[in-house]
Amino acid sequence: MRPMQGYVYPNEFELHWGLLIVVYPYLTGLVAGAFILASLARVFNVREVQPVYRLSLLTALAFLIAAPLPLLAHLGRPERAFEIFLTPNLRSAMAMFGFVYAWYLMVVLLLEIWFDYRKDLVIWSRGSTGVLSLVRRILTLGATDLSEGALRFDAGAGKLITIVGIPSAFLLHGYVGFIFGSVKANPWWSSVLMPVVFLFSAIVSGIALMLLIFMISSLVRFKRVDMACMDKLAAFLMYALVVDFSLEMLDFTQRLYEAEESIRILSQMLSSRLVLSLIVLQVLVGTVLPLMSLALVAPTVRKQGLVKVPDELRRLIYFVVAVLIQIGIFSTRWNVVIGGQLFSKSLRGLTVYKIELLGIEGMLTAGAIVVLPLVILLVLVKLLPPWPDAEAGATAGIGLGLAVSPARR
Amino acid sequence: MAGRSARRWVAAVPQQVRHLGAIFALLVAGLVGARQVLVPKTFGERGHYRAAAVDSIVAQEIGYAGHAACETCHPDIADKKGQSYHRGVACEVCHGPQAAHVLAPMDHKPPAPRERAYCPLCHGYNPSRPTGFPQIDPVLHNPVRPCISCHDPHDPTPPHPPESCAACHGEIARTKAISYHAELPCTQCHAVDRRHSVSPRQQRPSKPTTREFCGRCHAQDADSPPEIPRVDLASHGPGYVCWQCHYPHHPEAR
Ligand code: HEC
Ligand code: HEC
Ligand code: HEC
Ligand code: HEC
Ligand code: HEC
Ligand code: HEC
Ligand code: HEC
Ligand code: HEC
Repeated sequence: MRPMQGYVYPNEFELHWGLLIVVYPYLTGLVAGAFILASLARVFNVREVQPVYRLSLLTALAFLIAAPLPLLAHLGRPERAFEIFLTPNLRSAMAMFGFVYAWYLMVVLLLEIWFDYRKDLVIWSRGSTGVLSLVRRILTLGATDLSEGALRFDAGAGKLITIVGIPSAFLLHGYVGFIFGSVKANPWWSSVLMPVVFLFSAIVSGIALMLLIFMISSLVRFKRVDMACMDKLAAFLMYALVVDFSLEMLDFTQRLYEAEESIRILSQMLSSRLVLSLIVLQVLVGTVLPLMSLALVAPTVRKQGLVKVPDELRRLIYFVVAVLIQIGIFSTRWNVVIGGQLFSKSLRGLTVYKIELLGIEGMLTAGAIVVLPLVILLVLVKLLPPWPDAEAGATAGIGLGLAVSPARR
Repeated sequence: MAGRSARRWVAAVPQQVRHLGAIFALLVAGLVGARQVLVPKTFGERGHYRAAAVDSIVAQEIGYAGHAACETCHPDIADKKGQSYHRGVACEVCHGPQAAHVLAPMDHKPPAPRERAYCPLCHGYNPSRPTGFPQIDPVLHNPVRPCISCHDPHDPTPPHPPESCAACHGEIARTKAISYHAELPCTQCHAVDRRHSVSPRQQRPSKPTTREFCGRCHAQDADSPPEIPRVDLASHGPGYVCWQCHYPHHPEAR
């Protein structure tokens, strides 16, 4: 590929937002997607996906903890990042994002997880010693009341937070899209559809991720994979994918029909720089192929998919589809972030992105940041087992807990 | 009375809310406290920045004197540069901030960028520079010698490449001048590209290759002035090119 074509301003020769800024919306998308899945399970009481409810919450938390890292690593002076909290700038979308993030982390995710796990935390930590139960005891924050009224309050508060949480999750990821969509000098980004497209691609990636994590965690724990749950997830995935793809096509058609002055350079970019990442990876491999596979095997309109497939094969197809979707969504982020900087604002030239391997903004850092949430998730799962059979209610402990607590009051 | 009803009211609030409330209160108090300590006193007085920053910037030492300051003492250079391609490049771009030199010229001698690596900062080829801006490839453009050995930094107009062949081919020119071909210009027999005088070894002129070339003037039937002596190409020294017996630059070639 030729390094540069046409006329490019000196400050556009090198890209300022690199791989890390690609990773960032990818991670927040997974957070929002996983959380919205959990909320669906709770608010609309979808029985089949209950098994992934807690796992989704923990996944969302794990990815949310890692989400700001790419931004921090990209900053020249990361140790100053906290200043956006001290001196809030109401007129800067980027600065206010810190508050959106904090709201989502503290008020939504942590609270919902806390209310959901409080009973189990109290029971798990009761009587036993050791570091694990000490941590769990600290996590109860001393709120050890397990009376029926208290438990009812937990459930009510959890539900309320979930309801507040859905718009918050929309806000979190819509916001990322908003930041790109409101750059009016950049025709590739500037679009009111951007937040919505980001949101639905987030839902797609989150559901696909949960499908993967659920399947792998079942296998690792030598449990049978719950096919009812998998089928439901696949159906949701398919619906979200349809909406996501339609929105993207709408955006595309609109641009094509409007044919603003930028259309020539954008189509040039599409047909040279973004062939692999957009046409092949994002559209064909990441959307059309999964869409067709899901339409064939996932039970959406009917009780069964269009083609009847044995469970094992269906599971394998879901697995492959979910992996393809992850690749596709990552490419989507790539195309937005990198694509928006490959063409000159003069609309007369194209540059290239040279990816680094080492260095703070290189491939290794980005890879580590993508893997980190999985490590965090592992720790969280040890601390707060999300499996249905670990719930205190499933063991004799619940009887004990309920019997003891009124007596203690 | 009031104390007891307040206590009852607190007891009615679920334990979870009380404990969470305490934590949130701690966090908020922490944030407020941090703001007290960490936000600079004058922040926000005039805008979203530390107002005292303006004073600390004003207090900084001035390093640059400005272009006009140089002209008073170096009018010759300022005039020369004012007429040249570098008229738009300020003195202190190359000589560095020189406020101290203006105050005490003899104590502070400004440095001058004499090394070859300096000029390509602006003139090295870079695709994002505007078309038409003079750019060279620092590796290939007259390598090794410092740029200022050919370009005066205050008037960098490229040195004129030598127009006459004699500048480089003096010996040939001198012998030819007394030869029977004295009247013929070099280009009569050599097709020379303009760039030969800039990079001679890359752009070599042509040389005659055939007997017919000389025959254009010396053949019996040549369409040339009648005073030019003629020979019969077919029988005169056949088998050799003419300049094996008559080297055309030389006077004695008979
Ligand atoms: C007050 C008069 C004065 C002003 C104003 C002045 N210079 Fe000079 N400059 C001198 C004198 C005197 C010398 C010393 C000449 C000598 O050493 O022979 C000198 C020498 C120099 C030299 C040569 C130093 C050397 O090592 O030989 C440079 C380069 C120079 N000036 C640059 C500047 C620049 C750039 C400015 C504008 C910022 C400037 N001057 C303003 C008086 C001045
Ligand atoms: C493009 C860079 C450049 C600019 C612009 C420039 N100079 Fe120079 N100047 C040099 C260099 C390089 C030398 C050293 C020349 C040498 O050693 O042959 C030099 C040498 C000098 C000298 C000492 C030698 C001499 O020629 O007398 C003075 C004085 C001087 N410059 C003053 C100025 C002043 C005054 C200006 C602004 C009107 C100016 N220069 C602008 C690059 C520059
Ligand atoms: C700060 C940037 C800068 C530096 C440093 C600089 N120049 Fe220049 N140079 C320019 C500009 C600007 C022009 C005028 C270009 C134009 O006319 O479009 C120019 C023009 C020239 C030209 C005329 C080219 C032509 O034929 O049009 C030459 C030769 C030249 N510079 C040589 C030098 C040398 C040698 C040096 C090092 C002593 C030097 N420059 C340092 C900016 C710079
Ligand atoms: C041996 C003498 C010599 C040296 C050394 C030299 N140049 Fe040149 N330079 C020339 C000549 C001769 C020309 C004009 C020939 C041409 O047009 O290519 C020229 C032309 C230029 C031009 C104008 C090119 C254009 O396209 O208009 C620039 C700029 C330039 N030189 C910069 C430099 C720089 C920078 C250096 C040091 C890295 C340097 N020169 C070193 C002889 C020299
Ligand atoms: C800047 C110096 C310079 C100038 C001016 C110059 N030449 Fe040359 N010329 C050379 C050099 C150096 C060579 C190469 C000698 C060698 O390679 O041995 C050369 C080689 C030649 C050759 C031989 C080419 C060959 O393939 O052997 C011819 C013929 C020639 N020059 C003709 C001319 C003519 C005619 C002019 C005037 C229009 C001219 N030159 C001007 C430097 C110059
Ligand atoms: C009448 C035609 C003629 C004229 C006029 C002429 N040359 Fe030549 N030149 C030749 C021929 C013939 C050769 C030899 C070709 C060969 O050896 O292949 C030659 C060879 C050369 C060579 C390469 C060999 C050597 O002797 O170094 C140079 C350099 C050269 N000429 C330069 C010049 C220059 C400079 C002039 C003008 C001053 C000039 N010539 C005028 C015909 C001519
Ligand atoms: C453009 C026409 C022209 C070309 C081409 C030319 N010559 Fe000549 N030649 C002349 C002229 C004019 C004279 C001088 C006649 C006179 O003395 O008045 C001359 C004289 C001579 C003489 C001397 C004749 C005498 O009077 O003794 C020789 C030998 C000669 N040329 C050889 C050559 C050779 C060899 C070539 C091919 C490399 C050549 N010429 C190409 C025009 C030409
Ligand atoms: C083998 C060597 C040789 C070759 C090759 C040769 N000549 Fe000669 N040429 C001579 C000699 C010897 C003379 C003088 C004898 C004479 O006056 O007849 C001469 C004489 C001449 C004369 C002068 C005639 C006059 O009337 O004064 C011209 C003109 C001439 N040659 C041109 C050429 C040309 C043109 C060629 C190439 C086609 C050429 N020669 C090839 C040896 C050669």
